[in-house]
Amino acid sequence: MKGIFSVLVENRDGVLSGVSGLFARRGFNIDSLAVGETDDHEISSMTIVSTGDQRTIDQIEKQLNKKVDVIKVRRLSESRSICLEMMLIKVAYNVSNRSSLIELCSIVGAKIMKVTPKYLLLEYHAETEAVEDFIHMLKNYGIQEVQRTGTIAMEYK
Amino acid sequence: MNGAQAMVKCLELEGITKIFGYPGVAIAPFYEGLYHSDIEHILVRQEQNAGHAASGYARVSRGTAVCAVTSGPGATNLITALATAYADSIPIVAISGQVSSELLGRDVFQEADMRGATESFVKHSYLVKDPDDIPRVFKEAFYIASTGRKGPVLIDVPMDVQLKKLKKEFRYPESVVIRGYKPEVKVNISQMRRVVAALNQAERPLLCAGGGVILGNGEGVIREFCEKFNIPLVHTMMGMGVLPKRHPLNFGMLGNNGKPYANKAVRKADLLVIVGARIADRAIPEPENLKSRVIIHIDIDTAEIGKNMGPTIPLVGLVSEIFGKLLNEKISPAGQEWIDTLEEIKHTTVDTRVFSDRLVNPNTLVQTLSEKMDDDAFYVADVGQNQLWSADNYVMKEGRFLTTGGMGTMGYSIPAAMGAKLFAPDRQTVAVCGDGAFQMSMNELATIRANDVDVKIIIVRNGYLGLVREYQYNLFDSHYIGVKLNDCPRYDKIAEAYGIPYFTCSSNEELDDRLDAFLATEGTCLMTVDVDGEDRVK
Repeated sequence: MKGIFSVLVENRDGVLSGVSGLFARRGFNIDSLAVGETDDHEISSMTIVSTGDQRTIDQIEKQLNKKVDVIKVRRLSESRSICLEMMLIKVAYNVSNRSSLIELCSIVGAKIMKVTPKYLLLEYHAETEAVEDFIHMLKNYGIQEVQRTGTIAMEYK
Repeated sequence: MNGAQAMVKCLELEGITKIFGYPGVAIAPFYEGLYHSDIEHILVRQEQNAGHAASGYARVSRGTAVCAVTSGPGATNLITALATAYADSIPIVAISGQVSSELLGRDVFQEADMRGATESFVKHSYLVKDPDDIPRVFKEAFYIASTGRKGPVLIDVPMDVQLKKLKKEFRYPESVVIRGYKPEVKVNISQMRRVVAALNQAERPLLCAGGGVILGNGEGVIREFCEKFNIPLVHTMMGMGVLPKRHPLNFGMLGNNGKPYANKAVRKADLLVIVGARIADRAIPEPENLKSRVIIHIDIDTAEIGKNMGPTIPLVGLVSEIFGKLLNEKISPAGQEWIDTLEEIKHTTVDTRVFSDRLVNPNTLVQTLSEKMDDDAFYVADVGQNQLWSADNYVMKEGRFLTTGGMGTMGYSIPAAMGAKLFAPDRQTVAVCGDGAFQMSMNELATIRANDVDVKIIIVRNGYLGLVREYQYNLFDSHYIGVKLNDCPRYDKIAEAYGIPYFTCSSNEELDDRLDAFLATEGTCLMTVDVDGEDRVK
């Protein structure tokens, strides 16, 4: 099963390595990890996506809670959360496929950030599955470079 | 006031009177602070033993103990002791010197990344960057070490931070506010009700006590609970001493190194109340087999519950509080038939092990020794066959049985016994180790002598790393490799070198007299007891 954790931590040195070290040491998977400051510059927010059986997902939550620098751990429900990740991607094009590529971007809502004679630099944000589908579609054109942020998520009631 | 003076002041305000340590350049300013303080410094002979001594001290004082080391190799030598204390949840504040802040990360002389290196071996760690943070950091460190599930906390202090003057006036905080650390737990009332109902429904309840009971000062309430509701008890190695050995409700140590009748009791029970135990592999090798029973798991650490076994009823909180409440609940005492059944099992389970008559029977050694020891004595068992023979045969009265059950660190007994004795000079203290473990920490004989600590040390000598040899016997067709210690060194000469009386015993017949003489001797003394290398734990 998938576990999406929203983790508030002290914005201090060593905290990220402590959290990632915990995952490594106990054999928990990290599918993605995104970190950034919150509105309070002393607090950072991490979104960690992991997969494992029920026991593992429970242990992740409990072990994270044990860390002194971890202020709050929330396990988010995927169905009641907005989960997004952002991607920057360079896609090669030529005269014959350029318009189909631009059309594809406009269908999925990807933004063209830069045009060079050899490639388009696209920005796309969506749920992980949609990002992966988009990458798959772009493979026909020729992907030169990909950068993904990993998922960030927020729950709503 | 500079950082180092502030560090010493914090220790004084925490009521620390003794610290164990080993100085070096990067911690020298702190030692200069100690020079002007009433805190007594015990110079060990290797840093790891400063940690073990602090562990022994913390365990018998039931408070937090302190050790101090220098940067680099001094600090890395301490790591094994920190890992040991972490595995056994022992509250220690460890102070390490560090290279100057501006040199951090440049791989300069005696630099080691202690925060990174100890990440998974300490409850929390600090790298202090501003001397004005020292009062807060120390206050927090002592608080974190001693509350919730206890454990070691590391404070790494760069040399320049020790030397720099505080900008603000020194003020030791009265309270601690850490957003991410709230150790107080409110006992869940509905879970409590389920526990009471389960206890009332059970016909064959059994309590399994771990080291957490002792760490939580819960021996008294557990004893009252067992007696009031006629509930029998088994314990882990770390839970030894929750009830005296001869208490009619004590059915011994469970696990693959425990008493077969204790394990039978676990299998027979229809309700298992596990308190302050990890359900780790040595105590309960196959937690799956317990699934058909109702299992109540009580621990201060939420993460322990469900880690190795899913309980029927989880309950998080302090053992003293939970059992204090349970004592006031309406619980019908368990029937006497259940106790009688267990008694019967106990008396009909035959020990089929055969021990050599040639030298001293290790079981007889531990039984005789512990019978002769004071009621409130400290018995410190090392690691290996000696530890398992000790746990198996020790006659627990009102004293303490100290050993490292979690990490199994060889060489623990001598420094830990020294630490324990330094806290309580009036309590008889005996360290029992094998000849392997003795050679790992015999350098501490010097510390013991230099500080006039009266520790009685027994070497259970068989010339082998016995437990590993036993393992090779059982699993690798007796292909013995790397386990022979021979007759080296001459322990009489070692004793002489350190100026301590020396005793030997190599037959069951002379055991009584030799032990009497050994225990009656004033001050530290060393005794080798020869056992047959073929004697096994199982």
